[in-house]
Amino acid sequence: MTGKDMIKITINLVVIYVIGGLIMAFVYAKTSPIMFVKAKEEKEAALKLMMPEADKIASLGAWEPHERHAEYYAALKCGELKTVSIKDEKTGAMKEEKECIDPQDIGYIVEGYGKGYSSFIHILASVDKEFVVKKISILAHGETPGLGDEIQKDYFLNQFEGKTVDTLEVIKGETPDKIQAITGATISSRAVTEDGVKNGVILLKEKLSKEVQG
Amino acid sequence: MSQKPKSNLELIKNGMFGENTIFRMAISLCPSIAVTNGMKNGVALGISVVFVQTMVNMTISLMRKFIHPKIRIPIFMLVIAGYVTIIDLLMATYARPIYKEIGLYIQIIVAFASIFARAEVFASKNKVWSSICDGFGMGLGFLLAMIVISFFRELLGKGALFGYPIVSGSPLLIMILPAGGFLAVGLLMGFFNWIDMRFFGGKGASGV
Repeated sequence: MTGKDMIKITINLVVIYVIGGLIMAFVYAKTSPIMFVKAKEEKEAALKLMMPEADKIASLGAWEPHERHAEYYAALKCGELKTVSIKDEKTGAMKEEKECIDPQDIGYIVEGYGKGYSSFIHILASVDKEFVVKKISILAHGETPGLGDEIQKDYFLNQFEGKTVDTLEVIKGETPDKIQAITGATISSRAVTEDGVKNGVILLKEKLSKEVQG
Repeated sequence: MSQKPKSNLELIKNGMFGENTIFRMAISLCPSIAVTNGMKNGVALGISVVFVQTMVNMTISLMRKFIHPKIRIPIFMLVIAGYVTIIDLLMATYARPIYKEIGLYIQIIVAFASIFARAEVFASKNKVWSSICDGFGMGLGFLLAMIVISFFRELLGKGALFGYPIVSGSPLLIMILPAGGFLAVGLLMGFFNWIDMRFFGGKGASGV
């Protein structure tokens, strides 16, 4: 290798990597704020969907299932919704905002993770005031396509309505009061039911009954 | 590679059949087995590959006189990773519903031997327009293979196509498991080689 080669190689690498890096940095700078806002909106919409009758969903605290950050929320129903007009200080335009008077807890929502077959399954579950499951939904997962991803199907998710800590258990085959495992995806079914939802409901019970007592 | 320069149409045909990534060259088998258990996944990955392969071939071909031969490999890697990152970011921002379905497969493209191989074998030695045609043809060949493999795997394994059930139940569950991927690719590869040898006088995959 001659000296000329060495210089050419250096220039080659520096120029191409700097250009490549700049292009990627530019795209990232343009897209990441939009991505962040959209991800937040999606989460709010998902929470709203868990408890459609609630007027407001407030975060109560956080926990760490499988060392991941997850939150739990109270679903509030307002005793009265008062519409107040607020003047926007920047534009001077009048904006209508709803004020929640005398909010009542109608249930709770917990975010959780279950260790599945090939991924951590990100779950939301909503319960009523007696900690009976109302609805669950799968936010994200990386389970086997065609087998484990059946956990997203309605026939599996609908089984959760009316379940309590005692009946959140996976059974292979027909079951009248527990959760029926998906054929070929018992691990994923268990992850959602026992690791995810059940632990979430137990957490809600612990945290919230303590609050009531204290 | 043949000595005679090929026309653009021949290049596309070559990518689709003569040097089909999966069935003739037997490269990029690993990601293709991972995602072909449903037609939707297979087609989504196939389309992403068509795009990345064409763009990478074009870029490498444009830069071929500037790249020093000794460092071509890190530069190919950067170009491939750069395109994949940009597509990944753009889709995550502007096409979120689709991204949720195929986001994983977009990232998988970085590790594609076929894209790397075409940059090395073809794009770094040929003119821009030929390289674009070659990349496009190779991508189409890959898409074609994805469609064929996932068609059989989803139909036999789940009794469905594109997620719509055709027969009830799961007739041959093994076909959508990883083992079924190897079976399907192996049998189809053999089948296409047999067709080639029987009807077109080819020598099979080993003769390419």
